[in-house]
Amino acid sequence: MPKWFSPAAILCGLMFIVSPVLIARAPDESSMGMVYKIYYYHMPSAWMFLLAPLVCGVSSALFLARGREGDDRRAWAAAELTVLFGALTLITGPLWARRAWGTWWVWDARLTSSLVGWMIGWAYLILRRYGGPGSDKLAAGVALFGAVNVPFIFISVNYWRTIHPPTTVVPKLPVDMGIPLWFCVFAFLLLFVLLMTMRLRLEETRSRLDALYVALDE
Amino acid sequence: MLAGGAGAPSALAAQQPAPVDEFKPVGNNPAPEQIPAAPLLIGAYIVVLGGLFFYVVSLSRRLGAVRQDVERLETELKRRGRS
Repeated sequence: MPKWFSPAAILCGLMFIVSPVLIARAPDESSMGMVYKIYYYHMPSAWMFLLAPLVCGVSSALFLARGREGDDRRAWAAAELTVLFGALTLITGPLWARRAWGTWWVWDARLTSSLVGWMIGWAYLILRRYGGPGSDKLAAGVALFGAVNVPFIFISVNYWRTIHPPTTVVPKLPVDMGIPLWFCVFAFLLLFVLLMTMRLRLEETRSRLDALYVALDE
Repeated sequence: MLAGGAGAPSALAAQQPAPVDEFKPVGNNPAPEQIPAAPLLIGAYIVVLGGLFFYVVSLSRRLGAVRQDVERLETELKRRGRS
């Protein structure tokens, strides 16, 4: 692992330990009470859920264009993080919605397109696991759809009738709500970088293992 | 005047409430659903932190297993190189 990995991992761990303290000290929301504090982990998870398929899509496009294994490994790592952060977003959201909206789920533009994006991430992983030869390029093609879906997920709350809060909520947050939010966003972003690094190292080591098997057979 | 007079009954009809087809006494209405916030809030944080923890453990185990295989094969290659 690179030299910066261990200090960054320690910093990330400390940020996650401190974050509940900051969240607990944030004020309750006037209409939702304290249940809105799910937001402080739900929204950063959602932003990483949007970042991961973008990384996967761009890396896949580069892989299809250049054919370099490094791009393919990065795409595979990002697809796994798409599924991880998508699961966290799609579980914490309904837990919040049950109290805030009185229902676990609505088939509006934001939630439906998010579910579709998560399923595209699964499709990528299933293709890579069971697709056999050529599945790397097939999965790369699937990843392009996942990346194109991201802008729809983001703008859906602004252009379609939806019960989900619009994107204008974040810029209008008061300071005492904004500080814990941005703290959590940076903690999740750092975690994303660390997990991508670990996952990439796994793929690189697997490639080395394959090369060693070939060398052993010769 | 005629037009205003002709429009008055329809405007009056629009202002009248819809007819009630059932009488309900006060106090027998079911209590509104009270959903406690704390279990949902705590549950959400457990899901996130637990999910991230299990993923990190899974990734570490996969990485450790592959590294062990790499070391084993490198040792085997060195042994074959010497022999």
